[in-house]
Formats: sequence, structure tokens, C-alpha cells
Amino acid sequence: MAAVVAASGIAVYASVEADRVQVLVLALGLAALAVLGVGLTTAAPGTVLAGLAGLAAAWSVSAWTRGSGAPGGTIFAAAALFGASELAYWSLEQVSVADEPELAAQRLAGLAVRVTGALLLGSVLLASLGLHAGGGVVLEAVGVAAAIGLLVLVVILARAGHETIER
Amino acid sequence: MKRHITVKLEAYVVLTAIGLLAALVFARPELALLSAPFAVTIALGLALARPPDVRAWVELDRERVLEDDEITLEVTLEARVGASRLELLVDVPTELELVSGRNPLALRLGASEERILTVRLRCARWGAYRFGDLHLRARDAAGLLTWEQTIARPATLRVYPRPEALRELVAPRETQLFTGNRVAREKGEGLEFADLRPFASGDRIRRINWRASARRGELWVNEFHAERNADVILFLDSFAEAQHAGHGTLDQAIRAAASLTERYLAGKDRVGLVNFGGVLNWLRPGTGMRQLYRIVEALLNTEITLSYAWKDIDVLPRGTLPPKALVFALTPLLDDRAVRALLDLRARGFDLVVVEVSPVPFVEPPSGESGELAFRLWQLRRQARRLEYERAGALVVEWHEDTPLTAILEGVSASRRHAVARV
Repeated sequence: MAAVVAASGIAVYASVEADRVQVLVLALGLAALAVLGVGLTTAAPGTVLAGLAGLAAAWSVSAWTRGSGAPGGTIFAAAALFGASELAYWSLEQVSVADEPELAAQRLAGLAVRVTGALLLGSVLLASLGLHAGGGVVLEAVGVAAAIGLLVLVVILARAGHETIER
Repeated sequence: MKRHITVKLEAYVVLTAIGLLAALVFARPELALLSAPFAVTIALGLALARPPDVRAWVELDRERVLEDDEITLEVTLEARVGASRLELLVDVPTELELVSGRNPLALRLGASEERILTVRLRCARWGAYRFGDLHLRARDAAGLLTWEQTIARPATLRVYPRPEALRELVAPRETQLFTGNRVAREKGEGLEFADLRPFASGDRIRRINWRASARRGELWVNEFHAERNADVILFLDSFAEAQHAGHGTLDQAIRAAASLTERYLAGKDRVGLVNFGGVLNWLRPGTGMRQLYRIVEALLNTEITLSYAWKDIDVLPRGTLPPKALVFALTPLLDDRAVRALLDLRARGFDLVVVEVSPVPFVEPPSGESGELAFRLWQLRRQARRLEYERAGALVVEWHEDTPLTAILEGVSASRRHAVARV
């Protein structure tokens, strides 16, 4: 429930912040919210992922309508998206075995710390991105290499996951 | 412990990859910002993840209980390296119902921490259970990796059927030579008055019936029936059973056999067991607590084993069926081999009582005209079998699940007394 609340905050905030096509942003956000809700209800991790990606897309479209430069609300959106993801995967874990109350309280505290950390990280990154806006060829090349590396990691992890299941 | 990646790690990697790629493709730094917390979580989570080292034991407070009793299962967990979230599942058979405590459960186990978890279970059904394997799944702090382990710590639990209160037992027609609680036809040492006879040299003074002696003018003494024990053979037909919703004829027969064993042994009779089915086993007649445990243990291991091999009573070893024993058969009369074996026993002169554990309540009559006809034919065939026994001089009583066993036994005893009176 908390995951959906956090996610709905992103969806509404994205549509409010958008300069144009607010309806489209809102529709995209609500669709992502629905997908997330279905994923949580049916305990389908893939659907939850699609919902989170949809929310990120809604925020991206909203940011795109405002022209260049990262808006200040991005750090809140990033923290909220991260918080929603953490809560969503936490609730998926509860489907099989529910946490003891003591453990749940500890995890809640840990989540608050991580979301606060995400806010701080966003602030730091926003400040550094503002200083180095534009980047340059070398920085972009590093970025491309990092992205390709991540994709390779995705493939390796997917394979490892399948092998584990087969075993 | 086997390491696995979680769906959360997969999702975070995908979200990070999509965010960073989109940031590059659309030249939008805020997209990279959105994926940054996920990337940092992956990096820190994987770097800090340590495989846990957890030891676990399972202990039961009792190894032998009666049906409906409650037992306490203690799980001791000892961690050398802790786990942020440890899921624990103890393999418990469905026949043992959870009363209190949690299974499965998720908890946090710190380094060098020891936890003792208690689970109360109700033993809902008799049986011999070997259980207690522990399934552990530990998760790192970020929830990106899991480690799974199964610890085999089987505990043995024997749940004995709760004996039914039996007001009366079926008395065997013949008694044996050993002292018991049954009034024998023979005269001897006992309490039950049998007859009067003139005093003979060697008779005890206290046996003199003074009133009879006064009337007759000479000394007369009382004679008593000897008190002897009897041999009872419980014949359990385990060739086939009818079952519905977890209850069946074999279950009913085993409960009855356990109750009968306990009561006959309490009366100092010798009780034996013949488990006549796909797997044949037997216990020679014996007395005492040890025999009770032997028989109940054998009953706990009884199951229906499919077999097409023809078996008759000759396969039983000599001594399993002592002469003059009461053979108490518990059978659903579903398999011809058991039916023939019982008729064979009767033909050999055994005192036979057949309690037909009726399979009818467990059978759904097939729908349609032909189904109904088949059902009626089946019931008629069963009726014909009962008549076959009656013609052979064996008593057959139909026992439905909702009737107490004691009522059936009282009916059998009454019929046998009536039959004796007629003779």
C-alpha cells in the first residue's frame, strides 16, 4: 500500500510539474500505477518492474516538457521512486513469509535511512551535473561504456538466475 | 549454502541500465539521477553482502503421543555470521496442525546470536512421522542476494490412535491355559460359582458350602469356574480401502484395532495381529505393555500396497493363529483374497467375528441410470458376501463411520449370546 502511495505521488507530481501534455503524463503515470498495483496484487515481480519503469518514464516525459536542465524536483522523484521500489519488493517478500514485528520495525528504519540517503545522493549529483552540464565527448564515451557494461551485467545475472532455478 | 540472486537485484539492474541508457540517448541528466539510488544500492549491496553461517537444531519434547495431544517443537538457531533476514521453514506433516508459534517465519539474526523458537503442534491424526528438515533462506541487508540451505534434522514422532472407550468386549468362545480374567468353562480356581459336589479328601475347609452341607447332612463343597485368558487375533484387511476427504476404511479399522488391542491386553488376554494385504505381516500373540506397543507400532506402519499376488491363509507361519483363538476381522470386504481367507479360517474352525468397515459412506454413487444400476449391483454383491459368511457360521456386522465401536461390539456380544442360547 505504501509503495502505491509513493508511486501515486510521483505520478501526480510529474503531471503537475509538466509544462505541456499534462494529461499524457498523468495518463502514463496512472497506467504505470495500475501496472504496479496489479504486480503487487498478483505478486508478479516482472509486472512490478514494468510499473516502476512506467513511473520513471512518466517523470522523464514531464522533465522533457520543461526543456533542458534537471529540475529540482528530480531528487524527490528519484527518492520517491527508490522508496516505492523498496516498499514494492519488500511487500513481495511478505507474500511467502511475513516479517516478525521486530524485524519489520528494523527494516522500516533501514528504509528511511536509505531513502534519506537517496535524497542526499540526488542533491549531490544534481549539484555536480549542474557544474558539468554538457559533459563532452570523453564523459559521454565513459557513459556509453558504463551503460553497455550494465547491459552485459543484466544478461549475466539473467543467465545465472536461470541456472540457479534449473539446479 | 547456495547463493541466488533475487528478483529485486534483477529489477534494480534493469532500472539502472534503462535510466542510464535513456539519459545518454535523450541527453537528459535527470534520467541518470533517477537511476542513481538503484545503482548505488547494487554497488553497496553486493560489496557488503556476506554469506551467513547459521546452525540449527530441532527438538521435540516427546516422541510418543496420542492423537489430539499437543507437542512442542523447539528450533535452536545459532549464527556465527548473522543474516539481515532469515526465513525459516520447518517441514511439518499436514497431520500436525499448528497451535501456536509461526512456521514459516522471518527474523533477523545477528552475528553470534542464538535464538530458540517454539512451535506448538496438535497431532491431528495417528501415524509414524519423520520430520523436522529445516529450510533456511538468508538475505543480505539490501535484499539483492539470498542463500538457501536445507538442514536435515529429522525427528521421529509416533502418534498413537486414541483408544476409544469400550464398555464391552466380544468374549472368545474358548479360553486358553493361562490365568486371566475370563470365566472358563472348566472348573478350577476362580470366583465364579460353577457347581456343588461332595467333600473329598484334600478339599479346603473354606470351600465347604455350610448351608448345602446342613441340608444334605454331609459335607459339600463349592466348585468354581477357572479364570483363564484367551487368544485374540486381530485380522486387518489391508488389500484395499475406500477413502474420502482424508478418512477411509483403513483409518477406521486401525483405530478400532488399537482400541481392541489395548482393552484385550488390559484383560490379560494374549493378542496377535495379522495384517493381511499387499504386504503381509503378523505378530504372534503376546501379553503386556510390550505387546501393546508392538501391535500399535505395526498398525502405524500399515498402508495399502497394491498387489495382484494371490494370498491365502497358508502363507501365515505356524503359531500365528493358535487353536481356539478368537479371530476378530476388520475388513471393508472389498478384496476377494481377504474374503476367501476369512472363510477359510472359519472352515478351519476358528471362532470368527467379522466387522465389516463399511465403505459405502465413502463412495459416491455414480450418476446416470447405468451408474445407479452398477451401484445397486455392487451393494447386492456385498450383501451376498455377508450371507456367505453367515452360512459358514461367522457373524458379520456392518460398521458405519458414525457409529461408535462400542455399540458394534455390544451388538456382536448380544448376537453371540443369543446364538449360544439357541444352540
